[in-house]
Amino acid sequence: MRRFAAALVAVALLTACGPDRPESEPPPPAPPNPADSFSSSTTYETVARPTHIRIPSLKVDSKIIDLGLQPDGEIEVPSSVSVAGWYDGGPRPGQDGPAVILGHVDSSNGPGIFVDLHKVKTGTVIEVDRADGSTATFKISKLSRVAKTRFPTDLVYAPSLDPTLRLVTCGGTFDQARGSYRDNVIAYADAV
Amino acid sequence: MRKLGYRIAAIAVVTATAATVAVGSASAGRIAAAVRATETTAQTPVGRMVAADLRAPAGGSPADLAVQFEALLGQHAVLAANMMRSRVRGDDDFVQAANASLGQNTTDMTGLVGQLFGAPTAEKFRPLWSQHVVALFGYAGALADHDDQAKTTARTQLTRFEGQLAAFFSGASQGRLPLATARSLVVMHIQHLTGQADAYAAGDYAKSDALSRLGFQHTYDLGLGLAKALLPPADTAVLEQPVWRLRSQLGKLLAEHAVLIEDATRAAVTRTPDFSAAGASLNANTSDIAAAMDTLFGGTAARQFQTLWGSHVEALVSYAAATAGQDEAKQKQARDRLTSFQQRMGKFLSDATSGRATPAAMTSALAEHDRMLLEHADAYAAKDYPKAHTIAYETYDHMFHLARTLADAFGGAVAARLPKGGAQTGFGGLAGVVEHF
Repeated sequence: MRRFAAALVAVALLTACGPDRPESEPPPPAPPNPADSFSSSTTYETVARPTHIRIPSLKVDSKIIDLGLQPDGEIEVPSSVSVAGWYDGGPRPGQDGPAVILGHVDSSNGPGIFVDLHKVKTGTVIEVDRADGSTATFKISKLSRVAKTRFPTDLVYAPSLDPTLRLVTCGGTFDQARGSYRDNVIAYADAV
Repeated sequence: MRKLGYRIAAIAVVTATAATVAVGSASAGRIAAAVRATETTAQTPVGRMVAADLRAPAGGSPADLAVQFEALLGQHAVLAANMMRSRVRGDDDFVQAANASLGQNTTDMTGLVGQLFGAPTAEKFRPLWSQHVVALFGYAGALADHDDQAKTTARTQLTRFEGQLAAFFSGASQGRLPLATARSLVVMHIQHLTGQADAYAAGDYAKSDALSRLGFQHTYDLGLGLAKALLPPADTAVLEQPVWRLRSQLGKLLAEHAVLIEDATRAAVTRTPDFSAAGASLNANTSDIAAAMDTLFGGTAARQFQTLWGSHVEALVSYAAATAGQDEAKQKQARDRLTSFQQRMGKFLSDATSGRATPAAMTSALAEHDRMLLEHADAYAAKDYPKAHTIAYETYDHMFHLARTLADAFGGAVAARLPKGGAQTGFGGLAGVVEHF
């Protein structure tokens, strides 16, 4: 009799507990992990090509053409002495890295677009318009004149990730036999 | 007891003698662990690196040491932010591991200060630096405890250390670093760290991450600035040369990649609510690296690079998410994607550098990078925070040397295609005038 009563109690307990047992319910779904839908970036900020340069203090106001390399590895120069040119094998003005813009100091009978570059002072402002309508602004930090035979290629063209600008023209004495100036004038500028 | 434990644990970062401090048994174990970690790192040689084939020349020039110094300072910013965030989260075990890493970083930095500026300078540097770490620790604890009074106390301490650190750096520079400039630089460092912790405590993870990125970049650059100011100019002029600039800048970008991928995978594995912000920061860094590749190799190569790099980042995050979900099939998929990435990126880098970086060396270095990151995620999943932090430290070291290898290979490849000689930008019409310029 006692055994029967115990069995009844056990059945009653099981019946009472059955529907509410936690283990009988499915576990709640784990919240979605945002990492499951992560996508890596596929774009980066790009800089448009340069179209125009202004140096008000030198009265420079010129469109910009693209320059590449000549077959012998020297850089091309603008065909017109009144137009500046950008080396398109390097960074664009305002992009990380050194952008290089060249201009003639003179023609065979008159001044070129960068005739007064040697006068530029530290802090002089340079503005470069770009194809997307934006403008990159730089300030001169240093001016130097170096023999072309010792041209500092690394300082002018070599890559760093500093957004800088170099302006290059000719200077020094003229080598009549070679038909070229012996030096280059280089103005170094930093992005503002 | 919790407050006491934290306070003494903070002291453990600066001195191993804290092990003798009597505390309750629960805290004592954690503190002793932190102390042991600090003692161990005190014996670690400066510049300890994990990849022999990527090792820098032994000894190192002042410029080499300066670049290492900026990397260690950048790492300090990351480790300090991690420590402060873990205190805000109330994650005691994580705090201990983060503290140990900070202690190791302080030890490494002190060793480097000794090499760069002499033992007497290093002896002054260590306690000053450690005390500002302790104050940051206190600040984060005050945030966690919503204790305004403690927060005010920590701010007062930080302000005092700002002045002391600024005076130390300015004094060591022999006048090259004005006191006001030094102070503004140190103040900004502190503001970035306290600001990111404030935002983290408020649940504004996007702001916290934005400040953290700024803090890392500022502190990384600060390291080079300090080295330039404290070393004789003749020793540091070389740092302005493009090759050194590129080493420094690429080092910063890739070091940031290492710390951001670790932060994102940590958040993915542990399912913390800051994952989205961490992922956004990681993506911003990926875009920055791609932009650098554009500068070096042009848009087409940069886009190819970003696609490959993105597959690497996605696979690592996917592995972390699969680990959180205990999904072994997805874990294997992620590992397979990484193996494929290592091969393809190795070939890409070799092609881009005209073989200066060989496919075998690059594939091997990338495989090591990924191996460490996978183990890092596994360690988080196992809540083995000391191991996770040790791996993170090694990953940062490894990436520092990989960045150096890449910078030199990239620089060499770009230099090979630069214009030769000067520019013929004159015809002589004004020769008589121009020669007098």
